[in-house]
Amino acid sequence: MAEEASIRRPLFEGWLDRGVGLAFPFLVALVVAAFVLLLIGENPIDVFALMFAESFGTQRRIAATLSAATPLLFTGVATAICFRSGVFNVGVEGAFVVGGLCAAFIGFTLPAALGPTLIPLAFGFAAIVSAIWLYVPGFLLARYEVDEVVSTLMLNFVAFGITGYLVNGPLLSEISGNNVTPLVHEAAQLPRLLPPSTLHAGFLVGILVVVLYGIWARRTPSGFEAALVGQSKRFSSAVGISIPATIILVMVLSGVISGLGGGSHALGQLHRFADGFSPGYGFTGMAVALLGRNNAVGIFLGAVLFGALASAGTTVQLFSDIPLDIVNIIEGTVMIFAVVELGRISLSRWRARR
Amino acid sequence: MNVENALPEDPKKVSVRLGAEGICKRYGSVEANRDVSIAVAPGEIHAIVGENGAGKSTLMRILQGIEQPDSGRIVVDDRPVELTGPQRAFALGIGMVHQEFMLAPDLTLLENLVLGDEPVTRTLGPASPIDWRAALESGERLARETAAHVDWSRTARNTPVHIQQFVEIIRLLRRGTRILILDEPTAVLAPQQVDDLFELLKSLRDNGTTILFISHKLREVMALADRVTVIRRGEVQYCSLVADTDAGTIAGHMVGGQGALPVAAATPETRHGVSGDVVMEVRGLTTPVVEKSHPLHGVDFNVRAGEIVGLAGVSGNGQNELVECLVGLRAVDGGTVSFAGQDITHLSNRQRRTLGMGYVSADRRHEGLALEASVEANVIAGSQRKPPVRKGSFFDRGAMRRVAEERLAFIGVRYGGLGDAAGDLSGGNQQRLVFAREIASKPGLLIVSQPTRGVDLVGIAAIHGILSEFRASGGSVLLVSEELDEILSLSDRILVMADGAIVGETSAADADIGRIGRLMVMQGAGDG
Repeated sequence: MAEEASIRRPLFEGWLDRGVGLAFPFLVALVVAAFVLLLIGENPIDVFALMFAESFGTQRRIAATLSAATPLLFTGVATAICFRSGVFNVGVEGAFVVGGLCAAFIGFTLPAALGPTLIPLAFGFAAIVSAIWLYVPGFLLARYEVDEVVSTLMLNFVAFGITGYLVNGPLLSEISGNNVTPLVHEAAQLPRLLPPSTLHAGFLVGILVVVLYGIWARRTPSGFEAALVGQSKRFSSAVGISIPATIILVMVLSGVISGLGGGSHALGQLHRFADGFSPGYGFTGMAVALLGRNNAVGIFLGAVLFGALASAGTTVQLFSDIPLDIVNIIEGTVMIFAVVELGRISLSRWRARR
Repeated sequence: MNVENALPEDPKKVSVRLGAEGICKRYGSVEANRDVSIAVAPGEIHAIVGENGAGKSTLMRILQGIEQPDSGRIVVDDRPVELTGPQRAFALGIGMVHQEFMLAPDLTLLENLVLGDEPVTRTLGPASPIDWRAALESGERLARETAAHVDWSRTARNTPVHIQQFVEIIRLLRRGTRILILDEPTAVLAPQQVDDLFELLKSLRDNGTTILFISHKLREVMALADRVTVIRRGEVQYCSLVADTDAGTIAGHMVGGQGALPVAAATPETRHGVSGDVVMEVRGLTTPVVEKSHPLHGVDFNVRAGEIVGLAGVSGNGQNELVECLVGLRAVDGGTVSFAGQDITHLSNRQRRTLGMGYVSADRRHEGLALEASVEANVIAGSQRKPPVRKGSFFDRGAMRRVAEERLAFIGVRYGGLGDAAGDLSGGNQQRLVFAREIASKPGLLIVSQPTRGVDLVGIAAIHGILSEFRASGGSVLLVSEELDEILSLSDRILVMADGAIVGETSAADADIGRIGRLMVMQGAGDG
């Protein structure tokens, strides 16, 4: 809560806690994967070394890892901002997809003559629509106590349905005809940072979002209020903090960040919107937020970890007999142990509601 | 010697069906039970009364085998027993009806009745077919004996609460309960249902069941019990046949005014003879009937500048609801509250605070503090948007720490570091932390509820000192407390609340404990 203050006591505990919180699921995952590798007759050390090299070995590999981490920076922050206020928003995935479509739509419909102004226009439109998207369950929770887990989860399916329809119908590209929209104008594409890798300027936007989130959470009255609401709703309302306003604020902020994330993925990575736009970035973002304990630095490390696993996974099986599944096993185990924390959150929520 | 070992056949020969002798139980620094002894005779309805936190629940948990006493022993049928766990107590015939019923909501009442002890047509282990006919017969026989009407095919969920409670009771009887413990059984019932329950309990008593029931409603004790034991601060204060006593006497022992008479502690010099202008005026305040709360019926009073107004009453008569209405945490449906010259009836808590209202909640652990948050966050909360804590859009970290330290030092909160969790402090220091935050904004009116609950003697003295100083500096206080001593020693004026209304008012100089005690229970016994 209090940053300097936490130096007295919880710093050591806090760092240990956070460090273990981040490292423990990963270490368990490595042990489980090592066990599987031994079973299939591979040397785990060699495989892990190869995976590390494939994630961080060269500048190109690092760029690939950071590229894979980029959407997770957004979805991790979008999730954490709600979780730390005790709002269990699982709708980041849907908002991310909606934002991606909106940004791409601006990118290929507005005249190319607008040039680089297309980029802020696209980001702005994506952020606004995604913010409205998550405002709805936020309002329902704040005003009518509609369970946000159910409403946001269901909204994800609505998002998949709407975007799936549009990308196969009105917005279908005439020249490719393969469940994709037309490409956005060249001026609307985010610059690549280290060609030929796909690492794009969206990564820098993601870092900016993480930093701003860290400042908001620790240095502003509204971040402080949101954290207090997450600690105790009754206490917060008794000291004059409006619970409905806080819930709506964090849901809208979560929508803005999800929309920026979708926009960055559309403009920087794919240059269009496509069916299957997100392979679960929103859900991986939940694991990132939980691993990082809603802390800005933790979210960055968590996003890079999952980015590394993703980028290693795609190439490891090219260069060895190791099946891709081993990467999936590691990812899955990390998620399970990150979810242990999730279980703790929902347990305390359940107690609080009784 | 055969007589000693054999279970007594005739209940009449047993003098104590269920007893506790010298029970002591500590939780950390809190003595929940101190040398508690009770004796419940066979076929008696024995009431245990006391305020919240008096130690009733601890005693019940011990009698049920859920908790083990630190010392002392339990007696069943005149013989000491060791209740190693709830199963042991159940085997001895001790059954408890909890405030929250233990029925499976989606099963029928008949299924609930036999759950865990089903009659079978043939014994085939887990595959034994259940004998529903026998189950229904036993249910109907028990219902007939107790003159109740039960539709056994209904699910528990769709059954009125008093029938659920009834099924809960006969479920225990069916399984051999001879000693029935009921924890505030009327809390969830409507008045008519209360009468039905009492008829049922009386008929059970007449059939030989021994009943121990916990309450803090004196009217019910007078109407139902044969004998009453009063527990206060973990000790037995009083025990009498109900026929030999009256509600006023019991109330006096519950709140602890009787006997000690500490009124003299309040010296007139510390009082302001004449108070200032009216700070808060409450007129005809009523609240809707909401589950698990006591509605208010037209509450009228005012608080003047520079006075402490004490609000006395037996707990659960609407005091908490009144406080929540005054601080803006509960909706009202009639009447007005004005404060600092404005109608604040429909203002939010934040707006009321801006006008200069401070609030010390009775529920320190959930409403007064965020226990897992740091001491600093707890003492700053509410001021996060005010300079110097906020500078522009951001916090001034140095100023925040300075403000926090000043506030904590002002009333001497002892803490390790600002980053410690508030929950790590002792009860007394937690409460001082709450006062440190609430007094810091220099409110005109402080609404204080149960300020010394769970606080040790040193902490109590400190908190009383804080309140007196606050008054001396011109502030007004509405002090709501179940501790009559506390109200008598601090207040300039005393209001008595009963059954959701103010039933009496007296100046501190004329305070008469007997009269206050009668007022506290009068309304509760009003119609009788």
